[in-house]
Amino acid sequence: MNAIETHDLTRYYGARCAVNHLTLSVDREVFALLGPNGSGKTTTVLMLTTMLHPTEGTATVCGHDILRDGEEVRRSLSYVPQDMAVDIKLTGRENALLFARLYGTDTPKDRVDELLAVMQLFDRADDLVKTYSGGMRRRLELVQALVHKPEVLFLDEPTLGLDVAARATIWEHITALKKDGMTIFVTTHYMDEADRFCDRVGIISNGSLLALDAPSSLKARLSNDVITAHIDGTFRDPGVDGITLFSFANNEASFLAENGREALPLLADAFTRAGVRVRSLALREPTLDDVFLHTVGKSEEPAGFDQTKFRTMLRRRK
Amino acid sequence: MRGVIWYIERDFLRWVRGRVAVFSALVMPAAWLIFVGLALPIRFTDNYLDFITPGILVMTMLSAGLSGGTLLMFDKILGFLNKFLALPAPREDILFGKILFVSLRGLIQSTIILVIAVLIGASVYSPLQYGLTYLILFLFGVLLSAFATTLALYLEDHDSFAAVNTMISMPLFFTSSALMPYNVMPEWLRTLASLNPLSYAIDAIRAVDAGALPLVQIVSLAILGIVVTAISVQVFRRVTV
Repeated sequence: MNAIETHDLTRYYGARCAVNHLTLSVDREVFALLGPNGSGKTTTVLMLTTMLHPTEGTATVCGHDILRDGEEVRRSLSYVPQDMAVDIKLTGRENALLFARLYGTDTPKDRVDELLAVMQLFDRADDLVKTYSGGMRRRLELVQALVHKPEVLFLDEPTLGLDVAARATIWEHITALKKDGMTIFVTTHYMDEADRFCDRVGIISNGSLLALDAPSSLKARLSNDVITAHIDGTFRDPGVDGITLFSFANNEASFLAENGREALPLLADAFTRAGVRVRSLALREPTLDDVFLHTVGKSEEPAGFDQTKFRTMLRRRK
Repeated sequence: MRGVIWYIERDFLRWVRGRVAVFSALVMPAAWLIFVGLALPIRFTDNYLDFITPGILVMTMLSAGLSGGTLLMFDKILGFLNKFLALPAPREDILFGKILFVSLRGLIQSTIILVIAVLIGASVYSPLQYGLTYLILFLFGVLLSAFATTLALYLEDHDSFAAVNTMISMPLFFTSSALMPYNVMPEWLRTLASLNPLSYAIDAIRAVDAGALPLVQIVSLAILGIVVTAISVQVFRRVTV
């Protein structure tokens, strides 16, 4: 039995499909759901943590059905939303004790002390959270989430808004938890983190799962080299055989080519012929970013700027 | 049910550490008591302060109860509610925690208003009379805080909650028997006032002060409180984000 199993999990908001027939199984690993904003990552987590009912499909967490055994599901998991919700007028210890007691832990004080020490918060445990940095607040949330020794941990954008050092610390802790046999389900849009710290990633766009594998296999699937060209002025795809354009943004065009070294001069010539001014050309190995753009780019046909759609989007963001 | 205590402890610590909020809620009822209770030239009674004190106590409970809904509103906006909803503890514990905390906080505030009233010349009653007064205020607080908390769960943002709050609190107060007895009211107001749950509480406290036992009002308030709480429990159990 896998820790998380979903079968055709689907959720509609009105007519809009937020999650579309998602079938997944995750067990004793760090699994990342990667996707642009609004792609259905948080909706998926909300359904798996029993806070939102699926429109269609089923899912189990530790063998408990998310619809029928809500309480058992919640007993075996912990959920850390992206909002960083810790009480700033309470001390770190008070924040953690609240959760230890709400979970009905046997020896809440000892358990909290132990975890505060693990998360390097022990020295500051009796200070008001108001005085904590972002990284400390996140670690305090991990303490709150771990008080009842959950089997599955859901982290929604765990490193959002943190500095580089704080992010590294969070990932160290996540990796340590996995070694203890915990299943960790994260959502993120930081590709480099997913690449370095996650065992498997699922790429989701517009609610559909487009790719699912280990980061290294996903990169290997793009068995090509990546060429990025920095463009001045207007850009036109020069259209060289065997060199495919897969993304263009901020004056930077990315191409895939089977043999990068040979493709470079061909591309440079083609640009000159097309009258496109190129500032620099670079050749590199594919990264998860490229995999992401390649996968998501294909599913999203470029469309004109839709004024009404843009306005609805802005309104939703409030 | 154990979770209720911890939810209350959390809200209590946040409240007393908020400092300003502890006193700001008292300004309005204290001002009514002093500026209206002492200053208004009234002919139907020679001690208007004694007449208006029950009204102001209930008013304190009314604003404490309705504004208590903002606690849940902010828990929702700031993401705490999601964390609480993901806990295995029964979800109605969140509701009971809010109801009890808001009602008890209202009772603490009412006590201060009562002390001020006595200091500026209101009559002193027996412990039994005060005990009944507190019971009535508590029942009224439960009714209002259950309503306000559930309303906050439904409404989108704090602005709309504040708007609904203002929209109902003033009319409720002015159409009650808080400021004048039924016999000096115009006909239309008398009908409204006798239907207003605020009047049940105010009339009950006045009856207690006069030495009677207002069973009808107490039972009506208790039934209303139980019905609203029962509906709220169902709403909390089924809530999804």
